[in-house]
Amino acid sequence: MMFTPRVTQKIAFGVLLAASLVVLLPVGVVVFVILKNGLGAISWEFLTEMPRSGMREGGILPAIVGTFCLVTGALLFALPLGLFAAIYLSEYAGDNRLNRVIRLAIVNLAGVPSVVFGLFGLALFVNFFRFGASILSGSLTLGVMILPVIITSSREALESVPKSFREVSLSLGATRLQTIKHAVLPHALPGILTGTILGVGRAAGETAPILFTVAAFYLPKLPTSLFDQAMALPYHLYVLSTQVPNVEAKIRYGTALVLLAIVLLMNLTAIAIRSYFRSRKKW
Amino acid sequence: MEPVIVTKNLNLYYGHFQALKDVCLSIGERRVTSIIGPSGCGKSTLLRVFNRMNDLVEGAGVTGEVLLDGEDIYRPETDLLRLRKKVGMVFQRPNPFPISVFENIVFGLRIHHLYRRNKEMLHGIAQESLEAVLLWDELKDKLGRLATHLSLEQQQRLCIARLLAVKPEVLLMDEPCSALDPLSTGRIEELMQELKKNYTIVIVTHNMQQAGRVSDETGFMLLGELVEFGPTERIFTAPGDKRTEEYITGRWG
Repeated sequence: MMFTPRVTQKIAFGVLLAASLVVLLPVGVVVFVILKNGLGAISWEFLTEMPRSGMREGGILPAIVGTFCLVTGALLFALPLGLFAAIYLSEYAGDNRLNRVIRLAIVNLAGVPSVVFGLFGLALFVNFFRFGASILSGSLTLGVMILPVIITSSREALESVPKSFREVSLSLGATRLQTIKHAVLPHALPGILTGTILGVGRAAGETAPILFTVAAFYLPKLPTSLFDQAMALPYHLYVLSTQVPNVEAKIRYGTALVLLAIVLLMNLTAIAIRSYFRSRKKW
Repeated sequence: MEPVIVTKNLNLYYGHFQALKDVCLSIGERRVTSIIGPSGCGKSTLLRVFNRMNDLVEGAGVTGEVLLDGEDIYRPETDLLRLRKKVGMVFQRPNPFPISVFENIVFGLRIHHLYRRNKEMLHGIAQESLEAVLLWDELKDKLGRLATHLSLEQQQRLCIARLLAVKPEVLLMDEPCSALDPLSTGRIEELMQELKKNYTIVIVTHNMQQAGRVSDETGFMLLGELVEFGPTERIFTAPGDKRTEEYITGRWG
């Protein structure tokens, strides 16, 4: 049977629309299920208290604090390093063999499975540097994992700053470093920030990299130093779901909800920053 | 009269392509010199020789001499930052930074650490520079406004003010009016006459009438060659070269 072009067009449109809706479906279901089962667990007590009776009761405060520490540590490590690398690659680096290798390495780093980062962190930070299973090791491991995200998004942000800004600055007698500092970075900052927050959001939700490097199974106290072990939300969720018998469903889903909310909040912040600056910029 | 800029047998190459061929000219102090010619003839390239902005192009190489106040600016020991402070540039499209008017003007001062955290002095220079481009009255209450929200003409004036703030001696203008309407163009041209009292101006333009209106000397370029250079009036009334005559009478170009 033959269709007219008009009918073909309509069918194609329908198929494309259906594909988009199917993508929406899992998102909707995930949010719905977690909200429905987890909302009942959320209370002030749940957010601010230690777990009790083998995690079957009480709150998840140490996991929240642990995740917060890990994310902050990863950020402190990865942002300066990633930003410097991005500046070098987009502002200074020519097209030679070394720089091509660096760029290739970054692309590949982004594709490494997160469990491999976990093993890497175990080998390098925990064992070789003897940091032990600690917040320091976990933060560094997560930092290495989000490094390519930060470098790539920072490079894109830097390269989207018009060439004319650099030209003007140089023509006014600025050095290249001054040009980067005064004429390029300020205008790339929103993009860099957005990319960084997205990277950090990813770090907050990862389980595998912290599995061997920091995560404590059950540690009902807050960490006091960088060399302490800590609980973290994603790992806590894994433990609750598979390792501890007879945990109420609402505690599991409540934990998932908190984790989801944190990640969502970060992404929303990123989107807000981006749209705020997009409305201001005009070049 | 001592010339400010002199080029001797200037050749410029982009890789294997020769963009400037044996250019010899001399530019007088506090005069407006215009460079005209069809697109791609090398006039912008020539302009960018004078502040060495061509250095940014990979594979660009120069032979011959370019003297600024008697000193060859292509000597290896040339201080590029000082050179560019002395020889400023206005670009084809107004390109203020998307920050406030005030911050735009003092950008160069901050770069050159000329202010020593003295707010009054910064403000004084900002006022002086805006007055010099006849923008002070319009903008004195709007110094905090985003510069990119000004009209194109105001933006271009602001860019000139930003340049004047670092106290250059030579102003290079690369088709400064090509993004502006005729009225704005006329006012910028008036401004150039005003600036001429204190600065040496070199302007590249594809608009021959503009060259005729604003400049004292004119050079005509074709395919990287400076075909003819002389007083504007003579170039336009009695060109010495057949090619110049054909260009300015509009036979092609």
